[in-house]
Amino acid sequence: MANELVGTLQQVAEVKKPLSENKVMKAIKTALPTLVVLVVFLAGWEIIVSLLGIKKFILPKPSDIWEAALANQANLLNAIWTTIKESVIGFLFSVVLGVGSAILLALSKTIERSIYPYAIILQTIPIVAIAPIIVIWIGAGINAIVTITFIISFFPILSNTLIGLNSTDKNMSNLFYLYNASRFQTIIKLRIPAALPYIMAGLKISCSLAVVGAIVGEYIAGVGGGDGGLGYSITVAAARMQIPYLFACGLAASVLGVSFFLIVNAFSKLMLRSWHESEMK
Amino acid sequence: MMSEAAKIITGTNEAINKRETANELVVMDRVGKVYPTGTVAVTDVSLTVGEGEFISFVGPSGCGKSTIFNMITGLQENTSGKLSVLGTTPKQARQHNEIAFVFQEHTLLPWCSIIDNVTMPLQLRGVSKKERNEAAERVLELVGLKDYTKALPRQLSGGMKMRVSIARALVSRPKLLLMDEPFDALDEITRQTLQEELVSIWSKDQKMSVMFITHNVYEAVYLSNKIVVMTPRPGKVSEIIEVPNKNRDEEFRTSPEFNQYLRRASEALKH
Repeated sequence: MANELVGTLQQVAEVKKPLSENKVMKAIKTALPTLVVLVVFLAGWEIIVSLLGIKKFILPKPSDIWEAALANQANLLNAIWTTIKESVIGFLFSVVLGVGSAILLALSKTIERSIYPYAIILQTIPIVAIAPIIVIWIGAGINAIVTITFIISFFPILSNTLIGLNSTDKNMSNLFYLYNASRFQTIIKLRIPAALPYIMAGLKISCSLAVVGAIVGEYIAGVGGGDGGLGYSITVAAARMQIPYLFACGLAASVLGVSFFLIVNAFSKLMLRSWHESEMK
Repeated sequence: MMSEAAKIITGTNEAINKRETANELVVMDRVGKVYPTGTVAVTDVSLTVGEGEFISFVGPSGCGKSTIFNMITGLQENTSGKLSVLGTTPKQARQHNEIAFVFQEHTLLPWCSIIDNVTMPLQLRGVSKKERNEAAERVLELVGLKDYTKALPRQLSGGMKMRVSIARALVSRPKLLLMDEPFDALDEITRQTLQEELVSIWSKDQKMSVMFITHNVYEAVYLSNKIVVMTPRPGKVSEIIEVPNKNRDEEFRTSPEFNQYLRRASEALKH
């Protein structure tokens, strides 16, 4: 008994101990293999392409891509910023509406049975088929692009949240029932917190999809000029055969997707690390 | 006039009935439960649980002891016989917040601190924070965990989690405590410690009745003053053994008397 108590006290103390310096070292150690691979890959690309004398418009070297990015710096940054805006707004809409409608569906089996199949159907229609209709309905520009982003990133959040809300531990929900918890209390205090790991999984899938959605949207519904976003820049660069700049845009899009994912991942860690297995060390 | 007189008479009868059952928290009269599939879960169970009693249900899996619990909590309804809990129907009885539950799993919310877990039943009822904290202090002291209010369940051992679960049940000062195989997932040593603690908590509170499900005959004899031995297919009461109130200590555990009860209960299980 005494040993048990001491053991747990130590455990609690350990959790609270600040480890910031160690953490930095640890982060470097974990990131090191990935960085090494990146450097080797870029160097290999650069060397092989220049040795074989491959033309710029077939496969540009990393240094060519970097040059092209610098040459079009103003345009590129503007395009990136536009894409960030559109994907974040679309993503936030899908979080609010995705989680919100999942809660509605989870409240009643009848609602779930009547609406959920249509959500699945909506998900299976290819976005390139819907996009032109959306442009016809609400016109080209940011509204259409945000809508397309939303449609792409909505479903993973809806379905993950719904699974989470429906997989509450039976004993726990019995306990809430026996202590006369109202349906509202059960949702707020039990089902939503229990679904949080699932919601986070949905957010992680959707955040990368949101960037893809925004770029597809810009591709189809983008407006010209500086506010076209990365999707528009890609179409322009391809049409003008500016292959290094095309690469720069593509890479920027993927960096954007990765950063977006890392931010959501950090948020997920913050929300779950104290209690859920998936985010513990 | 007539109807009013009738009302008074009925009222008086009800009052008399109430007084008679005032000390009986649970009354089961030939209670049975048949599932829609035709499976007979329990049949013909008659027993009463008096104030301050510790009553154990012992029997193998499928003997209907959990079904009896579910009927008392109102999770399931009996299909025959009469069942009253706290003088009313199980579902209404639960509304009075005088029944508490402990399950085999600790069922603690992993994202809530110990204090939030313990006070959860009060929180659901809208009790003020100050009152909740006082209540939590009282029950955590009772189970020896008052230094752990801020900890999370995962930081505690299995035995400690079960203590928190018991503390949560005691927080509303229940008249009736229902425990469904609470110590089954624990190791033998922790199990014995918790048995002793449970007995001491129960004997301090003279008014609290405990209904305790187990398939451990030893545990049933040690803890209870009434053992309901059940046999399966269909689930029914084979024998009710009274164990007179006495000190539940190491001496009792090793006494010849204890062994006699043990043998009697084991015999009844074979019927």
